[in-house]
Amino acid sequence: MTDIFIVKWIFALSPILTVLVLMIFRNWSGSRAGAAGWFVSLIIATLFFGAHPELIAYSQMKGVLLSLNVLYIIWAALLLYHVVNETGAIRAIGIGIQRFSGDKAIQILIFGWIFASFLQGVAGYGVPIAVVAPLLVALGFSPVVSVAVPAIGHSWSVTFGSMGASFQALMAVSGLESSYLAPWSATLLGIATFLCGIFAVYVYDGWKMVKHSLLAILIIGTAMAGTQYILSVSGMWTLGGFGASLAGLCSGLAVAKLKIYNQTPPSQAQPEMGLWWALTAYFILIVIVSSGVMIPSVKAFLGQVKLSFEFPEIISLKGWVIRAGKGKAINVFGHGGALLLYSSIMSYFVYLSKGFYKPRAIKTILQKTVKSGVPTSLGIVSMVCFAMIMDHCQMIYILAEGISRVFGSIYPLVAPWIGLLGAFMTGSNTNSNVVFGVLQQETAHLAGLSAALILAAQTTGGALGSMIAPAKILVGCSTVGLAGKEGPVLKTTLRYGLMITGIIGIITALVSFII
Amino acid sequence: MDNFFKKHGPKIKTIALIFMLVMPFFLYTAAMHGSSFQVKLFLALMIGTMLLVLKKD
Repeated sequence: MTDIFIVKWIFALSPILTVLVLMIFRNWSGSRAGAAGWFVSLIIATLFFGAHPELIAYSQMKGVLLSLNVLYIIWAALLLYHVVNETGAIRAIGIGIQRFSGDKAIQILIFGWIFASFLQGVAGYGVPIAVVAPLLVALGFSPVVSVAVPAIGHSWSVTFGSMGASFQALMAVSGLESSYLAPWSATLLGIATFLCGIFAVYVYDGWKMVKHSLLAILIIGTAMAGTQYILSVSGMWTLGGFGASLAGLCSGLAVAKLKIYNQTPPSQAQPEMGLWWALTAYFILIVIVSSGVMIPSVKAFLGQVKLSFEFPEIISLKGWVIRAGKGKAINVFGHGGALLLYSSIMSYFVYLSKGFYKPRAIKTILQKTVKSGVPTSLGIVSMVCFAMIMDHCQMIYILAEGISRVFGSIYPLVAPWIGLLGAFMTGSNTNSNVVFGVLQQETAHLAGLSAALILAAQTTGGALGSMIAPAKILVGCSTVGLAGKEGPVLKTTLRYGLMITGIIGIITALVSFII
Repeated sequence: MDNFFKKHGPKIKTIALIFMLVMPFFLYTAAMHGSSFQVKLFLALMIGTMLLVLKKD
């Protein structure tokens, strides 16, 4: 029976379908659904795709090496966020921005588009929506708008945000270099930057408000998309989202001083901490990451210790061959996560020496980091591990072959939707790239398309999926008293998320015809 | 049993995460040494760990 292609294809799809159904219709968390997907892939791979214990063993080791590369960044980013947030610096940055303009459109752009992206750059994992939504409510916006605006506004920065964890995942699963993947990824995400800005303003007050803010969107969008492109193609993709949002903050504060945006007086609220002190940790981060990436001697010094494992050739009982080779190496001291860790430690001691912490703050910081890091990590490890089982048993290749047979040359139109679906079901661009990255790469290969373009569409769709991911919407709603009433917010973000993804799909298809 | 999981849920999930990250190293070592029994044993432990993750909080 399994010789019939469609039956094989449905079996190969079943682990992904399991995760989808459990998360969307049964409201399961990413970690539980990932574990369920792992069991389904284990059973299906053993019964129908010739998996054997040794094959599973090697695939799990490869899965853990990939996961560790991503988790290193995630945990260090969370630690840095809590080191900063515990001083009250995030709130101080929010108040500092608020003092620049009383114009509602500018407030929406600065908070919902730029500041939310800045938070994505330094933390991610729902933090932008959770932090910005209450700030917008405090400024007088309705709770639904307050959650929807940062959800839409920050999504362009997800791939290169969180110190590039999602991009790292894409590189890890595809085995391709940043120099190959970054240009198209940064281009499509750059286009999404403008679209997210436009729709964030549209949600608040329709086309009238978009028209009023168009100049600001053009200036700030160009600064952010341009900076993200330059940083990511020059090898500093870990700083792509963060650097772009910093450029956005600077240009946004300059735009706020323009006469057309300066008709209403700004807030007079005083932060408890100066803006420069609040941003100190991020200045430290810029210096450390720039040094670790750009100074060859520092890069060589930090890159001396690499954790790497050799894998033999693996053949499934059905004859599918995985070539022998090295698994994903972990650069222990020069990894993006390590650079973040150095920044976190240094920032902690700077803030401690200035007396910004309450007693026993270190315990709170570590507890909060563990509390937020464990569920995310469980989801990532279980999903990466089941994706590796699928990869080692030909299941992903069969899925890709089926899609390329059905869609053929119009596949680029579909590629971002697959990324969006992955993020919607797993609540994460990183997980989406892990689950669908290899599938998209294989499909691009079979359809004779540019893998760089298709993977760029995958990660852009995955980033945009952040605005419709129930997991993130739930976090935002809980901070503005909308817990249990998430429907209107999801309806709003879903509409614009689908629109932006559709536009990205059309652009991808057009580009694929040209190149 | 349910009370135990409710009381120690977060700790159990943290331990499960550590197991999920460590167990594949044992699996790899066993597979490289050609020890079929050890591979099956660690695979069973991995399945047990995934069952813990599957458990509702």
